[in-house]
Amino acid sequence: MERVTEPTELRHWEGRIEAYWIYTSGKAGDHFFKKLKEEGKFTASKCKKCGKVYFPPRIYCERDLEETEFIEVSGEGEVESFTIAKLDPYERELPKPQIYALIRIYGTDGRLIHLLGGVEPENVKIGMRVRPVLKPKEEREGRITDLLYFKPI
Amino acid sequence: MGRAGGEEVMVSPEPRAVKKMEWLRACPPYAQGTPLREGDIREKRVTFVEDHPDIRYSWAAGQAISKFLNGLKEGKIYGVKCNKCERIMVPPRMFCELCYKPIDEWVELKDTGTVLTFSISYVGPDAERLPEPAIPAVIEIDGASPGMGILHVLGEVKPEDVYIGMRVKAVWKDEKEREGAITDIKYWKPLEVRK
Amino acid sequence: MGCEAMEVEGISGLEFQKKQNVAIVGAGMTLWRRRLLETGRELSYLAVKQALEEAGLTLDSVEAVVMGSAPDAFDGVHMKGDYLLDGAGGSDRPYIRVFVGGGTGVFAPIAGYWHVASGLFDVVLVVCEEKMSSVHPHAQTAFRYIWDPILERPLRPNLTWIFAMEMRRYMEVNKVKHEDIALVAVKNKRNALDHPCAQLAERITVEDVLNSEPIALPVRRLDISPPSDGAAALVMVAEHLARRLTDEPVWVTGVGWSLDTTWWTNRDLYFPRYVAEAAKMAYKMAHITDPRKQIDVVEPYDPFDYKELHHLEGLGLARKGEAPILTREGVTERDGDLPVCPSGGLLGVGNPIAAAMGVKACEIYWQLAYRAGKRQVKKEVTTGLCQAWGDLMQIGTVMIMSNKRP
Repeated sequence: MERVTEPTELRHWEGRIEAYWIYTSGKAGDHFFKKLKEEGKFTASKCKKCGKVYFPPRIYCERDLEETEFIEVSGEGEVESFTIAKLDPYERELPKPQIYALIRIYGTDGRLIHLLGGVEPENVKIGMRVRPVLKPKEEREGRITDLLYFKPI
Repeated sequence: MGRAGGEEVMVSPEPRAVKKMEWLRACPPYAQGTPLREGDIREKRVTFVEDHPDIRYSWAAGQAISKFLNGLKEGKIYGVKCNKCERIMVPPRMFCELCYKPIDEWVELKDTGTVLTFSISYVGPDAERLPEPAIPAVIEIDGASPGMGILHVLGEVKPEDVYIGMRVKAVWKDEKEREGAITDIKYWKPLEVRK
Repeated sequence: MGCEAMEVEGISGLEFQKKQNVAIVGAGMTLWRRRLLETGRELSYLAVKQALEEAGLTLDSVEAVVMGSAPDAFDGVHMKGDYLLDGAGGSDRPYIRVFVGGGTGVFAPIAGYWHVASGLFDVVLVVCEEKMSSVHPHAQTAFRYIWDPILERPLRPNLTWIFAMEMRRYMEVNKVKHEDIALVAVKNKRNALDHPCAQLAERITVEDVLNSEPIALPVRRLDISPPSDGAAALVMVAEHLARRLTDEPVWVTGVGWSLDTTWWTNRDLYFPRYVAEAAKMAYKMAHITDPRKQIDVVEPYDPFDYKELHHLEGLGLARKGEAPILTREGVTERDGDLPVCPSGGLLGVGNPIAAAMGVKACEIYWQLAYRAGKRQVKKEVTTGLCQAWGDLMQIGTVMIMSNKRP
């Protein structure tokens, strides 16, 4: 039974996936981003039954599937972990290294991943207290990028 | 028997009879959800994020389809034969999926066939309206076993003249334009005009 | 013309052994609309909350969660099952996602059934969620990728082409007119007027269907069910718990599923053989020898109106070509001898692929528990059947339920 043995005769077919997506923020997300955009305030949600505080907020508690209520938090927190990125997603060198940090937000049981700014990489320490820096109100769009970065207090 | 850990399951202490009265109304008793209109997104009444990914693929055609595509470049349609069930199959494959054994030989098929089913389509791949309707059809290829068809489109025929059982012939691209693809056949046209 | 597909011996020699009987004690659904604000997790939460309320349980009692959700491409999130986990109550417990295209609506409860029948778990939550509004420009764009990239996509096909071709074949071989098929759309959209979650319930006539916008003839706009966002949930428990929780558990007596190959152009499309195989497996398990007499209410998968007829024949509830006659004579109405799609089905309520469980498995459960309110069928019901179908005309999934003591 003859088979194709010449590699150049083995065919490949090129193609791409052309869909694009629009992700709505959901009930909790919409409330969070609208508050952030209009008033520059941060929202978390607290479970009515067990008291766990979620950040970013959700309309349900994942432990007992009970309802939550929205509460306001300052947005300040402390650095729990961080990393210094020297390459971008396509492995090209970045003009300036970027610092990504896992920030525990005070008053909640949640954490946020975001950039750190206004500090040199060698000066970042775990436990460092930080506060958020937002874009000016006219430039905010209701997305996580309305938060420019967190800087040390 | 219980969960793998062996703990007892807690059942709500509320008397079941009371709950039953409320639910006897009708199920589901309420429907939650917040509908949105297209305008809500266009006019940014809700927050959202857009993502346009760049996902590219290079699919390996494999042994059987590579030979099939190379055959199309030469203006030929190839099928394969399994000697156990004696089916001649198209599109070709390296093993018979019913007998679960490798196929035995390649067979050159004709480029004429019969329409098994068809549709008159006014929509394109993204649900956009087409100015002229497309006529996709499943065409049983002459030389293959009965019922062995491929998907393709019909041309040079008016939608109202197409019928199941119509005999058709492939219309090929010019030899120098062929690239070894299913589109080397432009479309299939009727062999004879229906009286 | 010689178009008979090759006859193949189906499933044989099945021995069914299970450790414990399985009952459904609660179900829930969200609103179904073309686009909803809630994220997938929030929708799952809303459906699960309602199901747990009806069952009289809290999340701590749930031992495992089964999630059914169709392609990641709709939500645009990879590993969608894990993404939806927290809203579905899956945190810190065994969790699995199943996906067989449109068949997921009945396959997820079948997977839930395995969990309990095997004796591994006593309380299982089955959740199905779908958010088809995220993908742009249209949900159809994600469906483009179901076609073979080399042999089919270069022809620029639309998904409705396969349905149109299957419908044409069905109409030709069984000598059925579009008017008879349109009666199904009229019936289901009218039935859906009594469903609180319905997206497209309305009173239409056969003329409205035949004059609606042509999509891919013979399919027209009113023959198709719309894409939707929505979620549904079910609670399945073991026998000893079912009797403590409720006086009217609904027992799962038979399950079946079967797939055919992707070489759909090599098959004769007028009869869904894979649905017949799945039904054979379920009937054997449920000891049903005469489906037409022993099944009281049916929810076959009806994304298109002709599909309801196609599946009724595949399930053996009508002889080949008989289903349109039954519809014309009113046998399949809610007050008929064999009510079909009393909920309004996908044509009336909406089609959120996997979450279609809400009008299939959940509806049969509510009918057999006599809790379907205005949708309750006239006759006395003991045994019901729900069926789903999916992929490239490939899978049939069937589940049979009964309210008689096992």
